[in-house]
Amino acid sequence: MSVAPAPRNDTLLASFERAGYLRVAPSILQPAGPFLDLSGEDIRKRMYLTTDAQGRELCLRPDLTIPVSREYLASGGAGRPQGYCYLGPVFRQPRAETGGASEFWQAGIESFGRMDTAAADAEMLALGLEAAAHFGLSEPIIRMGDLGLFSALVAALKLAPAWKRRLIKDFNHKSSLAQDLDRLSIGAIQAQAEYQGVLSALAGSDPRAAHALVTDLLSIAGIAAVGGRSVGEIADRFLDQAALGASATLPGETRALIERFLAVAGEPDDAAAELRAFARDANVALDPALDLLESRTGFLAARGIDVRRIHFSTAFGRGLDYYTGLVFELHDPRARVAGQLVAGGRYDALLTRLGSATPIPAVGFSVWIERLAQLQG
Amino acid sequence: MSQPFTIAVPSKGRLQENAETFFARAGFDLIKPRGARDYRGGIAGLPAVGVAYHSASEIVDLLAQGSVHFGLTGEDLVREQIADAEEQIIFIDGLGFGHANVVVAVPQAWIDVRSMADLDDVATAFRIKHERKMRVATKYINLTRNFFAVHGIADYRIVESAGATEAAPAAGIAELIVDITTTGATLAANGLKMIEDGVILRSQANLVAARAAQWGSAERDIARGVLDRIAARKSANAFHEVRTRFARCDDALLAEAKQRFEVEAPFGGPTSSGMLTLHCPPRHVHALASLLREKGADHVAVVELEYVFSRTNALYAALEAGLSSVSRP
Repeated sequence: MSVAPAPRNDTLLASFERAGYLRVAPSILQPAGPFLDLSGEDIRKRMYLTTDAQGRELCLRPDLTIPVSREYLASGGAGRPQGYCYLGPVFRQPRAETGGASEFWQAGIESFGRMDTAAADAEMLALGLEAAAHFGLSEPIIRMGDLGLFSALVAALKLAPAWKRRLIKDFNHKSSLAQDLDRLSIGAIQAQAEYQGVLSALAGSDPRAAHALVTDLLSIAGIAAVGGRSVGEIADRFLDQAALGASATLPGETRALIERFLAVAGEPDDAAAELRAFARDANVALDPALDLLESRTGFLAARGIDVRRIHFSTAFGRGLDYYTGLVFELHDPRARVAGQLVAGGRYDALLTRLGSATPIPAVGFSVWIERLAQLQG
Repeated sequence: MSQPFTIAVPSKGRLQENAETFFARAGFDLIKPRGARDYRGGIAGLPAVGVAYHSASEIVDLLAQGSVHFGLTGEDLVREQIADAEEQIIFIDGLGFGHANVVVAVPQAWIDVRSMADLDDVATAFRIKHERKMRVATKYINLTRNFFAVHGIADYRIVESAGATEAAPAAGIAELIVDITTTGATLAANGLKMIEDGVILRSQANLVAARAAQWGSAERDIARGVLDRIAARKSANAFHEVRTRFARCDDALLAEAKQRFEVEAPFGGPTSSGMLTLHCPPRHVHALASLLREKGADHVAVVELEYVFSRTNALYAALEAGLSSVSRP
């Protein structure tokens, strides 16, 4: 049973439409693949899955971001700026620990193709705040992060490619990467004593030499190439490993740098100033990412939002691997309901992974209708 | 009223043969009064117990629902099909057959991949290079997801596979697999190798009880009787009985035998005339007999045991402990 359709929800959607967002209603039954590809297999246990007569895996939509993105790509206008809004039920198996409803309503906005990143980001947070206010919550707790900053830091660090991949992946999947840095090590090197000779032979050599060496190794072992990765990919990884050198753990000064970076939190303006100082001290180039942070804060202030109320943290993430930039969540300051009331962010890489030939910027947010309605009693 | 006490038994294949042998050894003759094709049966001499024949996978569902009391099935299926298995069922005992490991296996050509940490790195690199995730063919969707999560691996997709999973990489349907293996020979024949720390589960056939079944005093009495015979047979399998009698047979000798050969003296130490009965693991029987003769025995008789009934019943104790621990929500 679901509570949602109420006049208040329709007026919320009407306000989104007045702001220029086209209302869409994607079908409830969706192909399961895109959700599993983009949100990770972990979402499988939360989804209601079924199979059609042709054996295709379908699901009841667990959110609307991916269905709306697919609709935009199919619209023929893909690449051009277009914003959508929606309201409807989504379906997730309740968590064993917390229980909760298996069907609940979400409203939201997805904005595609806008090149004015900072302004579009600011508009999403502003509209999210309006949605909360629409349900009588005028001063929610605002949590904000920016995955672009961490990506910029990792890109600027002098680290082997294997380390860079690892850090970005773990940031996306753990909200507390800082606590995790201790345990982080790339175990591969120690485990591969027998390839130590190969690795030292490869250190500093070029991809062609590595390719030839791997080809020889495989043919000596009598292994016919089978499965997924090419000889070139295997050779590249040996080169990566050789570049890692003898150290399987993160270099101490790099770790200290990352920890200092992830400790930066506070009002966005203060955080930006602190990060500028950090970038100077550490001699890492974060300018474009910091310019965006400051510019976004400027747009928020221009929209009349008191930016001192925003809790910005470099370590804040939403645990979904499709976010690439801004992430935010709105919470009840009196903690009457568990979980976020409104949440969203920027996901510039998602449309490419859904099949777009060119990258298309995208940003949006979702509103948890029942949670907000519950606050009103 | 409630359903009769029911034991679910695999209905086909090696597992069925092994299950029937297992029951026969415990002295239970499985009967099908209405003919061999019937899927309902019983146990000769135990009219209160019904036997239901199902596939190993259906047995797991029946256990989860509580529509049978006991079931014989593979631990791999239980853990795959029931989230939080221990909340729904009680593992009473591993039965020593149906051994299989659920393992992660990758193409042999991936000579740079030995550990799950390697696989984690390769998975992310693969996603970045190919703009899609590595595919894992398996029928063990839940086991795979939980194991990969423990190792922090996020960049993969599961492709459900109903059969011939080990052929999936060569067929281009998946990059790697999670499957059962006993010797690894099938993996090797398909150009695959196990990941060193990639054993998800060491599985065997298990005797399993359903928490959700009716467990009144009548059912518990039946269960106690059934488990008593199974436990007695299990103890009997673990030992041969060794008997001897000689004058210098004393407590010091008994202590030495216990220490060296893991023997038990179920009926106490040597009598005044030097009579001694020992239970000895089969692998130590000859060494024990040699020791006894060194110390003065003229004859040592060894017999296989049929049953060893004991006052305590570890299997029934496991059931009781399981039933009284935190019950289902």
